[in-house]
Amino acid sequence: MAVKADNQKRVKVSQIYGDYLIMLAAPCIVAWRYYGARALLVIAVSVLTAELCDLLACLALGRKFLLKDLSNIFIGAAIALMMPSGIPLYVPASAAAFAVLAAKIPFGGSLKAPFVPAAAGFAFASVCFKELVFDYSYNSSGKLLGARSLGALLANGNSVHLNALNTFDILSGNVAGPMGTGCGILMLGCCAYLFVRRRNALLSTAGFIAACAVFSMIFPRINASPLTSAVLELSSGSLLFAAVFLLTDYSSQPVGGVFKIISGALCGIFCMIMRYVGVYEETVCFAVLLTNGISPVLGSAMAKNPFRSSKKTPQNVSTPSQAENK
Amino acid sequence: MKNENISFKDMFIKGAVIFNPVLVQLVGLCPAVAASTSLVNAAVLSVVLCADLIITCLLASALLKKVPRWIRVPLYLLIGIAIICPVLWIVETKTLTTLSLGMKIYIPLIAVNSVTAVHCEQFSVKNSVKLAVYDAAAVGIGSSIVLILVGALRELLGASSLGGVTLDLPVAFKGMLLPFGGLVILGFVAAALRAFIAEKYPAYLEESGPVVKKPENAAPKPQPAEESGEVEEVELFDEFWTSETVETPAEKEPEPQPKPELSSQEKIRWESQRDIEEFFKSLGLDSDESGVDKQ
Repeated sequence: MAVKADNQKRVKVSQIYGDYLIMLAAPCIVAWRYYGARALLVIAVSVLTAELCDLLACLALGRKFLLKDLSNIFIGAAIALMMPSGIPLYVPASAAAFAVLAAKIPFGGSLKAPFVPAAAGFAFASVCFKELVFDYSYNSSGKLLGARSLGALLANGNSVHLNALNTFDILSGNVAGPMGTGCGILMLGCCAYLFVRRRNALLSTAGFIAACAVFSMIFPRINASPLTSAVLELSSGSLLFAAVFLLTDYSSQPVGGVFKIISGALCGIFCMIMRYVGVYEETVCFAVLLTNGISPVLGSAMAKNPFRSSKKTPQNVSTPSQAENK
Repeated sequence: MKNENISFKDMFIKGAVIFNPVLVQLVGLCPAVAASTSLVNAAVLSVVLCADLIITCLLASALLKKVPRWIRVPLYLLIGIAIICPVLWIVETKTLTTLSLGMKIYIPLIAVNSVTAVHCEQFSVKNSVKLAVYDAAAVGIGSSIVLILVGALRELLGASSLGGVTLDLPVAFKGMLLPFGGLVILGFVAAALRAFIAEKYPAYLEESGPVVKKPENAAPKPQPAEESGEVEEVELFDEFWTSETVETPAEKEPEPQPKPELSSQEKIRWESQRDIEEFFKSLGLDSDESGVDKQ
């Protein structure tokens, strides 16, 4: 039994989050390019807070603190990149602290957390500091729409023609918004990297983006063509960033390709519905958390399906964290 | 009657700590999550809850033992409403108008609180009046402590004040005043209570909730990097907190299980697969190399 266990393939925490950090390097550089040193300061404060909270929690609980557990760096950097660069520093700090102390540590670490800690941290900041988190006025003089973000443009329901806007500015993230998530071209590059490293994870991303695109084409918020609506919806806020970095989270993703696609599509539908009827400009983190909560139920329901193939995922195992508990 | 000699202290430890209704049994969450947004609100709710619980349990133990069960449960609610109505009238018409506006529907909802129904039905109608009052008091105090603690923490974190007195805290987390904040704080308080029970009353730990056990067949811990010369890996189940590695579930080798009986279609598929393999073997080829999909 022990030999069998030794022979099993192991995935390192540092390997998973090392890949994420390599991918996050590019958005960090873009954030620095657009917003200067202030962006790096926000990222540094968020990362340091996440590490410090983990260290303090480990000390309080008598556990061993591992600096090489790169998940804290990922959590801090991801939260910071989803925020505007001019945000007061206590906002990303408190979001990172919440992510580590409430969404990561109580569940036994990053690979056992049923909810994506970075999404939980950003959702916490959105609820507690709504006005600050969606204020994109800092350093927005050279932007395409000034201090207005694409999300605000879509929420107002204006009449938009894509030709009238600089499409490259939209795809390269030169629009007021979260400091590291607007560059769609970069997100495609990250997808390519993730495809090489862990392609199964991208099934959720594919389901998510497809659901968002179809939803925005069928129910456009603006007076524009379906294609324009889809491009603007996908480019606004942190939608693509969440699709690549949050939905592909190892522990909260369901096991099995079909489940991944279904959960991704559900997340996309939740996200778009919340964008249409919600009070927050950016809702993707709430949608991710909601999907995280539904994934185990979905997995269990699918496992009981008598028509499914016998070679599928282990029974009653819907997420990797549940599988390792088995 | 059984257990007549039991003391209030024992009842309190069990009713308020080990089986705390809000934190362990998870009943009566509505006032804790939705209405306890400040210390004053929580205190008023606690008083109403205690009064409702003690009087209802007392009456249930004294009068309702012979009443059929299907009538008893509605009677608990009627007694609760009879207690709450005067309280509500006082709160709404006398001095605490602002407070009652802030608490909206939550004071009347105490009348139909699940804590009352559960303890009347599970304990009061089966025991003496004295024990029923002890139990109701212990449970009421246990719930009240939680409500007041949660209310105070939420007011402190969400509004930077305590008991209506403004404090100059640098940051106020408005989200803590929402039910989401109540649930988060309840989670942390429940975890703290669980740690306290594990420390002080370990015998009751399993009774008050599931205990996480280490799997018996966990793989042995690999040697450190210095000794083995390999990359350091810490086994997941040995070090719950500092886990460095995790098994990939998709790659797990299945446990040897008895072969299920094949259906006719599967038999045909299996036989044809075997024929193909034998054919390639006769040619000196492996079916994998030939590109034939074994699936």
